[in-house]
Amino acid sequence: MSNQTLALLILLFPAAGAILLAGRGWRLPRIFTVIVGPGVVWASFVATLALLLAKASGDFTYWTWIKSGTFEVPFNLLIDNLSIFMCLVITGVGGLIVTYSVGYMEHEDDPSYARFFCYMDVFIFSMLLLVLAGNFVFLIVGWAMVGLSSYLLIGFWYQRHSAVVAARKAFVMNVIGDVGMILGTFVLFMTYQQATFQGVFGRLNGCPRGVGQLCLLPFTSGDTFNLELVGFLFLVGAVAKSAQLPLHTWLPDAMEGPTPVSALIHAATMVTAGVYLVGRMHPIFDVATYAHNAVAIIGAITALFAATIAIVQVDIKRVLAYSTMSQIGYMFLAVGIGAYTAGFFHLLSHAFFKALLFMAAGNVIHAMHDEQDMRKYGGLWNQMRPTAITFLVGSLSLVGVIPFVGFFSKEQILGLAFSKPDDNMVHVLWGVGFATALITGFYTGRMWWLSFWGKPSPQRPVEHPHAPRLVMMVPVAILAILATVGGFIQTTAIGIGPSTVTDFLASAVGSQRWEGGGAEIAVTFLTMILAAGLFAWALYSRPWSAYAPWAQRLLERKYYFDEIYDWAFARPTDWVAGFALRDIERPVIDAAVVDTGLLARAGAGGLSLTQSGYFRNYVLVFVGGAVVAAVILIVRANS
Amino acid sequence: MSTLNIGGSQLDASWFLLLSAILFVLGAVGVLVRRNPLVILISIELMLNAANLVLVAFSRQLVNIEGQLFALMSMTVAAAEAVVGLAILVDIFRTRDAEDIDDLSEMHG
Amino acid sequence: MAIAVFFVAAALAVLGGIGVVAFHQPIRSVLSLVVVMLSLSVIFLLLNAQFVFAVQIIVYAGAVMVLFLFVIALLGPARELGRGRLRFQGWLSALFVLVLLGLMWGLLQGVQYRQPDKGDLSFFGTVQSIGVGLFTTYLYPFELTSILLLVAAIGAIYLSRKRIDDV
Repeated sequence: MSNQTLALLILLFPAAGAILLAGRGWRLPRIFTVIVGPGVVWASFVATLALLLAKASGDFTYWTWIKSGTFEVPFNLLIDNLSIFMCLVITGVGGLIVTYSVGYMEHEDDPSYARFFCYMDVFIFSMLLLVLAGNFVFLIVGWAMVGLSSYLLIGFWYQRHSAVVAARKAFVMNVIGDVGMILGTFVLFMTYQQATFQGVFGRLNGCPRGVGQLCLLPFTSGDTFNLELVGFLFLVGAVAKSAQLPLHTWLPDAMEGPTPVSALIHAATMVTAGVYLVGRMHPIFDVATYAHNAVAIIGAITALFAATIAIVQVDIKRVLAYSTMSQIGYMFLAVGIGAYTAGFFHLLSHAFFKALLFMAAGNVIHAMHDEQDMRKYGGLWNQMRPTAITFLVGSLSLVGVIPFVGFFSKEQILGLAFSKPDDNMVHVLWGVGFATALITGFYTGRMWWLSFWGKPSPQRPVEHPHAPRLVMMVPVAILAILATVGGFIQTTAIGIGPSTVTDFLASAVGSQRWEGGGAEIAVTFLTMILAAGLFAWALYSRPWSAYAPWAQRLLERKYYFDEIYDWAFARPTDWVAGFALRDIERPVIDAAVVDTGLLARAGAGGLSLTQSGYFRNYVLVFVGGAVVAAVILIVRANS
Repeated sequence: MSTLNIGGSQLDASWFLLLSAILFVLGAVGVLVRRNPLVILISIELMLNAANLVLVAFSRQLVNIEGQLFALMSMTVAAAEAVVGLAILVDIFRTRDAEDIDDLSEMHG
Repeated sequence: MAIAVFFVAAALAVLGGIGVVAFHQPIRSVLSLVVVMLSLSVIFLLLNAQFVFAVQIIVYAGAVMVLFLFVIALLGPARELGRGRLRFQGWLSALFVLVLLGLMWGLLQGVQYRQPDKGDLSFFGTVQSIGVGLFTTYLYPFELTSILLLVAAIGAIYLSRKRIDDV
């Protein structure tokens, strides 16, 4: 079958799964859901592998959706190495997570069970659409649908008030990003009259209407202003979707969703959509230097910011959430300085170890009867040995210890930042990244030691936790293996060895244009040693909050971002809405409608007085009418 | 010339119209003022007769038989209408006194 | 001489009309109407409408008025008592009809009547001419009128039947 068909099949499998499970799934036995739910994701994975092996590439158009004058939006899929790479991550890691959730969600009743997998398939479909789309409109469609799936899945247990609130918060912030994306597309269309990627990138370096003529606003040279604007607008979208500063507050709350949801959406795939966006739009960002720098700055700051908050979290999933925020900051830093392939490599490795961490944590939570407070764990190393081992693998990967994959990807980013020539700002950002790596070591160690070492906490809900089922253990094990050996596909961090990812993606995003030297490798190892040291020290560290209680409070309150947003945005909006309801809606609009009815009634009441019921009245009116008619006739005849 | 040859003498056609007008108005007054339903029906007959008179007068004026034919039709219709009206009247007033048509005022708004 | 006949008949008709409206007892109203009809039939005769004259007496005065008399007999005599409930009815009625009368009189002023197409009076108004008209040109209205009478008859029978059950 042709590559064109295969590409479409990648999208159609999860869509079919979602439709089947939405329509009939809950009335059929559970085995049906178990087969269809993960099955379609694996089918897409196979299709993606087929495309990979066939070295497919091309822009496949299936039909033209909108054609109106110069505005033409086809339904086309752009297959190049970047999209195949993203599809592999989404379907591969996604497939493992969906399979895992067959076991995790087993306590749900049949309709909810089918609903979960339906939503998961919707999510996989939308994410695939996002990365495969060949034009901006469908990119936005996928973007928005991913936000929708996130809403549906965070609020999956909708009977819980906190879950519903968190889902709404996530959706609202995502919509802010959507607006940025849409505005950016508008600007691009106004400048280039093209809606497809090939069309826009092809025309990028010359405004077709001529310099100085209407390309949005008057400017002096090229399209740079427009592209900067587009870059910043797309940055808004990326920041919202990837939970970077300042649109990050939804991610920790999103942990209200089931753990597989956190693993899939808020670790491995959806939150990486921002990174994909910057990578896909690299022709624009290569020109729009301010926006490009902004990407890196936001990434680095978020990385540090999130890492500091992670230190004080007690909920195991929240630690991982802030850790995700921090690691995506690294990815933003990488693509922001031009090292696109390094950023995507870290995306891949982060998908491995973060999904692994979430799922292993899920095993623990499942065994602890949904208890997520780490202070109530303790001593699980002896009682849940396989899970503990996998969790350790993930943790070491996160910290960046050789030979795990996290080392190779994170240190490569830091090394490239350190060694980028002639760019002092990037060196400052390297410093930020370095500090973050050390703090990462600390909080990861704290998380590990609290949960798995020492004696069981007296507040443990379960004395003897059961081992996880096979269907929950196997995906975790697979990811642990991938996290262990996966690093060896790209070992440029240590200066020698293959660079598979860079080579693979070079055709799509270009490779970074500088090479590190020995200093870079030395710094890399130094970072690793210090971070690992902090990991170990976390076992013995005393509570530091005794020295600086204000810092503890600041971090626990997440730097008061939620409170600031509440005062700045939520309350004024509430006030305006209340005002509109009291003073506009009710008196004016409702009154207009109600008063029309009352008017009709009053009129009818008045008119009904003529219906007196007396025959002679009616006859009198007849005669009166005849008289009037006669008068009119005569007057007209005489005039 | 508007005079008609009536049995050898000449008479203006307007006199017939005047007579008809007076009779019609009398009938109208009867319908409006009287409260006995029977008298109301009778007044309606009076009005119809007045109309017949005009028809026949002008039939003679224009020497066109259609006027008289129309008058015959009118008489037929008047007869039918009187029959049905009286039947209704009989039905209504079988059980109550046929005094005042103002008693029949239940259909008011 | 004929003009005198006309004026006498006209005066009788007007008196009868006033009688219809003025008498309190319905039987007297009916009889006044009979007077009106007879006067009108005389006037019809003056107008060369022999057939209509005969039909007026036979059908109108003879059948319809008799029907009215029977109904009066059935319902019993009734007198209108006192003043009605509608206070302004009388005044307003008087106003309207006077205006109407005035208008009708005003319409008559300066009217020029059209002259007849043919002035042949020997055949006009005879039974034969009526018959010719009814059965050739106006056959359709004639037949419809007969159906109308059928409908009226059925309606009258139905409406005035004795109800056994409560309706």
